[in-house]
Amino acid sequence: MVSTDAQIWIAAFFTIAATSYAFRDNVVFKFAENTFIGVAAGHAIVMGIKNIRDYGWNHLAQGEMIYIVVFILGILLYARFHDKYYWLYRYPIAFLVGNGVGISIRAAIHSDFVKQIAQTTSPLIAADAFGTINNIITFVGVITALSHFIFTREDIHTGTLGWIPRVGRWMMLLAFGASFGNTIMSRFGMYQGRIIFLLRDWLQIV
Amino acid sequence: MDYKRDLPLAITFIVGIIAVLDYYTGVQAITDTFTIIKNWGVVLQGFALGLGAVNLFRVHGRRISQRREGSDWLFSGWLLLMLTVFVVVGLSTGQYDQGPTYSWLYNAIYLPLGSTMYSSLAFYMAYGAYKVLRARNFEAGLLFITAILVILGNTPVFPAIYPGFFHMREWIFGPIVSGAYRGVRIGIGIGAVILGIRTLLGMETGYLGRR
Amino acid sequence: MSVWEKLTAVPREVVMTLVVLAMIIPAIRPLGLPILTGDMSRAWYNTVEQLPEGSVVLFDIGYGSGGYPSLGPGNIAAFHQMFEKNLKLVIMATALEGTMMYPLIMEEVKPEENYGAVYGEDYVFLGYIAGEQTAMAGVLGDLKSLVSTDYQGTPISQLPLLENINGADDFALVAYLTTAGGVAEGWVYQAYSQYNKPLLGGCLSMMTTSIKPYYDSGQLLGLMDGIKGAADLEFLTGHPGDAIVSSDILSFTQTLVLVFIAIGNISFWMTRKTKEEES
Repeated sequence: MVSTDAQIWIAAFFTIAATSYAFRDNVVFKFAENTFIGVAAGHAIVMGIKNIRDYGWNHLAQGEMIYIVVFILGILLYARFHDKYYWLYRYPIAFLVGNGVGISIRAAIHSDFVKQIAQTTSPLIAADAFGTINNIITFVGVITALSHFIFTREDIHTGTLGWIPRVGRWMMLLAFGASFGNTIMSRFGMYQGRIIFLLRDWLQIV
Repeated sequence: MDYKRDLPLAITFIVGIIAVLDYYTGVQAITDTFTIIKNWGVVLQGFALGLGAVNLFRVHGRRISQRREGSDWLFSGWLLLMLTVFVVVGLSTGQYDQGPTYSWLYNAIYLPLGSTMYSSLAFYMAYGAYKVLRARNFEAGLLFITAILVILGNTPVFPAIYPGFFHMREWIFGPIVSGAYRGVRIGIGIGAVILGIRTLLGMETGYLGRR
Repeated sequence: MSVWEKLTAVPREVVMTLVVLAMIIPAIRPLGLPILTGDMSRAWYNTVEQLPEGSVVLFDIGYGSGGYPSLGPGNIAAFHQMFEKNLKLVIMATALEGTMMYPLIMEEVKPEENYGAVYGEDYVFLGYIAGEQTAMAGVLGDLKSLVSTDYQGTPISQLPLLENINGADDFALVAYLTTAGGVAEGWVYQAYSQYNKPLLGGCLSMMTTSIKPYYDSGQLLGLMDGIKGAADLEFLTGHPGDAIVSSDILSFTQTLVLVFIAIGNISFWMTRKTKEEES
């Protein structure tokens, strides 16, 4: 028994239309593609305005007049479309970049550097032989993979120690293979949601 | 001081350094200032969400007015119509994305398109694996071996026949992936911090635009 | 053209059609294969199990329609476990479409019906907050200076759950599910590095390898590995859903991929051998 819900039918149409590109480029896909870009941009505007209301306007309404500054900065973002006064958009962008960079680098040093090195320098000897072997492989993987990214000394890639970055390259290729295997699962995991929708909600045969 | 260039660079430095000082010093006055910066940042990001739409109106508006490239202008018109419909429905009710009509439209149009557009790469992954994943030489063979073993471990039917496939996959995600990706992660971390410091110091100015 | 050369050039349409069939057949006739749970998902499950009743969890829905098939089932299973444990949930969204995912999830979890949970007392949804790491830092730093209402506009003063929540110190755990690399890293930076909060992460399987160093170094206490992690969590929590159904589809599609990889490689080597012999 096929669904009689118009919403389900429209969703099924767009699912099939968007999939059709996998077989060949066609006008139905083009229609779906343009619809997608339009609704995505529309949704972004709606959420943007809601965001401004919830986290900006509400403060202003409560008497926090300093928020006028952020509203002015926000409007200045759109100066980038003006031929003469485009440079005004640099002020809000500078604010966003400064905030974004500051907020991420302060913790990146700890998370990506200190914690990762601390983990690498933990004892290699584990409770059993298998654990010890694993620790050694991990340690070798970290050191050799890192050495592969040393570009300031060319001789590290060509000299006597050239085998170190080469092993690192092999370790990374092994890891990228795992990444590829997981990517296949990830993509199928995403698409099968649409298959379940088509068979269960639209055609109602499962 | 060039107010078109130096002032924005100064803003970047001051805002960024306050964020860093908040982390390392914990001085209340700095924390309070940074709280304001964060809250402003959230509002500004809301404003930035409309930039893409304005650009779409400029590009597709031009395409419609010129009516070139065959029937493309019709698609451009449709794109802008859908954009407008979502905005009007979202804003006119005062309920934004929580209104029943908006939810209906979202579930009928955006949800299926969003999930299908991103996931249809599965087909290309399958075709790409067939055409490209080949053990042509030693290095390609290394990538090939772990890819095959991980797919075997990820495919429930194989561990159901022989659980060793799953344990092999788990082992690959242990020392092999951990070792190599930790090295990569440290590299990314160093790169990101250096790029960040250069940006704060005004040595990277790409975000100011080229004009 | 030899047989081997023909096998290296199977048309795209044929491969695509077989992939579609490999998805449809197991969906109609499920196999019900057993699930072997991974360490990372078990760690997620155990971390939640060890939380005392009444603990407050900050949960980020960091994905939209694209990520829903992979992460939605895991999100549903995670909420089932958290409501069963009588944990309090403060939910937010760092993804633009997160607010549209929330009702889809709650329609499945049904916290009021299944667990007697009350909105505002046991769980609250703050809605979408723009800015990714800025939003995270804002919520963890000084929640009430940023957020004044929930996603439907109810003032937070009318939501008892938020009465004593001001920031990171008031959360026992932070958890997120995301399709964005920046969000996956961002929570580690903001919740773990800045506030040393226990943290659980979930992402698409294709992101798992790059996020795993955070799990290895103890910054993430558990990691949900996309659809596989979701199936594990559905199994561990005893709430089978779409991820377990998907396991059968994965079996068919990935076996087909393996067959194609085998055909591609055998034909490649045989063609090369034939050419070498001819020359």
